Amino acid sequence: MDYILDGIKKAFELIASFDSEIYGIVGLSLFVSLLAVFISLLIGIPLGMGLGTRNFRGKGIILRIIYTFMSMPPVIAGLFLFLILMRRGPLGRYQLNYTVTAMIIVQICLVTPIIIGLTYNLVRDKAPEILRLGVTLGGSRWSNFLLLLHDLRRGLAAAVVSGFGRAISEVGAVMIVGGNITGKTRVMTTYIAELKSMGDYSRAIAVGIILLLISFIVNTFLYQVQQRGETE
Amino acid sequence: MKLRFENLTKIYGERTVLNIADAETPSGIITGVVGPNGAGKSTLLNIACGLDEPTAGRVLYETANGVFTDRPPMKDMTLLSQKPYLIRTTVEKNIAYPMKLRRFPRETRTGRTEKLMEAIGLTPLAKQKSWKLSGGEAQKTALARAISFRPRVLFLDEPTSGIDNRSTAEIESMLRAECRKNGTTIFIVTHDIAQVRRICDHVIFIAEGRIVEQGKAAQLLDTPREELTRRFVGGELLY
Ligand SMILES: Nc1ncnc2c1ncn2[C@@H]1O[C@H](COP(=O)(O)OP(=O)(O)O)[C@@H](O)[C@H]1O
Ligand SMILES: [Mg+2]
Repeated sequence: MDYILDGIKKAFELIASFDSEIYGIVGLSLFVSLLAVFISLLIGIPLGMGLGTRNFRGKGIILRIIYTFMSMPPVIAGLFLFLILMRRGPLGRYQLNYTVTAMIIVQICLVTPIIIGLTYNLVRDKAPEILRLGVTLGGSRWSNFLLLLHDLRRGLAAAVVSGFGRAISEVGAVMIVGGNITGKTRVMTTYIAELKSMGDYSRAIAVGIILLLISFIVNTFLYQVQQRGETE
Repeated sequence: MKLRFENLTKIYGERTVLNIADAETPSGIITGVVGPNGAGKSTLLNIACGLDEPTAGRVLYETANGVFTDRPPMKDMTLLSQKPYLIRTTVEKNIAYPMKLRRFPRETRTGRTEKLMEAIGLTPLAKQKSWKLSGGEAQKTALARAISFRPRVLFLDEPTSGIDNRSTAEIESMLRAECRKNGTTIFIVTHDIAQVRRICDHVIFIAEGRIVEQGKAAQLLDTPREELTRRFVGGELLY
């Protein structure tokens, strides 16, 4: 038991001491995941809206693929991207394996399907009446799109937070394409895995606590957005 | 704005739900659209306001210089349905929204919004969020929004069904004022013959997708030409 309590105590000391290695890793984690989520929402929200408001042949199969990708194990995404980026792979000449860029790309692959899928569900249920209003009021395509964004903002925020949760917490994909290189591609989750294998439990717990705190802050923000929508 | 229907047909599967050979509707007055459930009234309104497409035939719209076009003037018409969608924001922002779409100057937007809220008794609710409104308040907000940009044609599909009497009275007087002041052409689908008597100048009676008869409100209600119209306005349950 002692090693756990001891670990927690040391963990708080590390957090309070602003250990530069830990905070550098936290910073990189946030950078990779936030950028991946940002790019994913630029891709995922318009695509989810398109799927939710249009009918075309092959839509069913596209949706099933997206739903499958939503729950794809990160290691598989990591493996595929690794193979594609490998020196003799199709995109090998860019030499992206073991770079931050590859980590961002793989997280975009994990997060975009979630944002598309959740946006699709939201839009399929609610968009028809919103678009109907937009059309009857003489709105252009663009202003109707903005109206959808406005009225579905809480649901879209929830989708973005889910995507961020997946990105910041996954380990398999960034491990494979990033390689957990010290000072270069090491993020919180791969660092925890490494610290565990080295037996440095207090540092592992410290990073774990920071990860939980970030998750708590993000969810608090989401909760506020949703509460405000209902009661303001 | 006069409307012309030419061979206007809507078919769902095998069923023809609308089939209007040839008709013209009057401009600048309130026209009641009545008929049994499933007669095709909503279908006609949805097509006329440009939301839906006919299977065959067309609607022609009178332009400012008196010629007719088959391009629906979407910026000059609007539809108010029985359960209108309100934007997830305040009453006043809902009302101002169509004017914002049309880039009216700010002073015009706030001025008109205030006047409309005053006229229909929404001023105390100006900052109220739309999802906290009662049915009557929501419908009044939607009506104020629909006329805020001064449409040339206003379509209403059972706007006062299930709405309290006071709100209904406010809505009716706003419709009359709108028509009188701005010469708006108004179509209102209603189940309430008493409402037709209160506000309509003209009536179109539809049954089984066809216009059975149309004419001045008093004439159609009191001395209908067709047997079916007589039975309907007499209160018989047609289906
Ligand atoms: N999307 C649709 N698919 C199939 N049938 C429809 C559809 N919309 C309306 N109908 C049918 O068309 C007929 C006319 O409907 P509607 O115009 O709503 O009637 P009203 O408004 O006069 O009560 C009804 O029988 C209705 O069931
Ligand atoms: Mg109807």
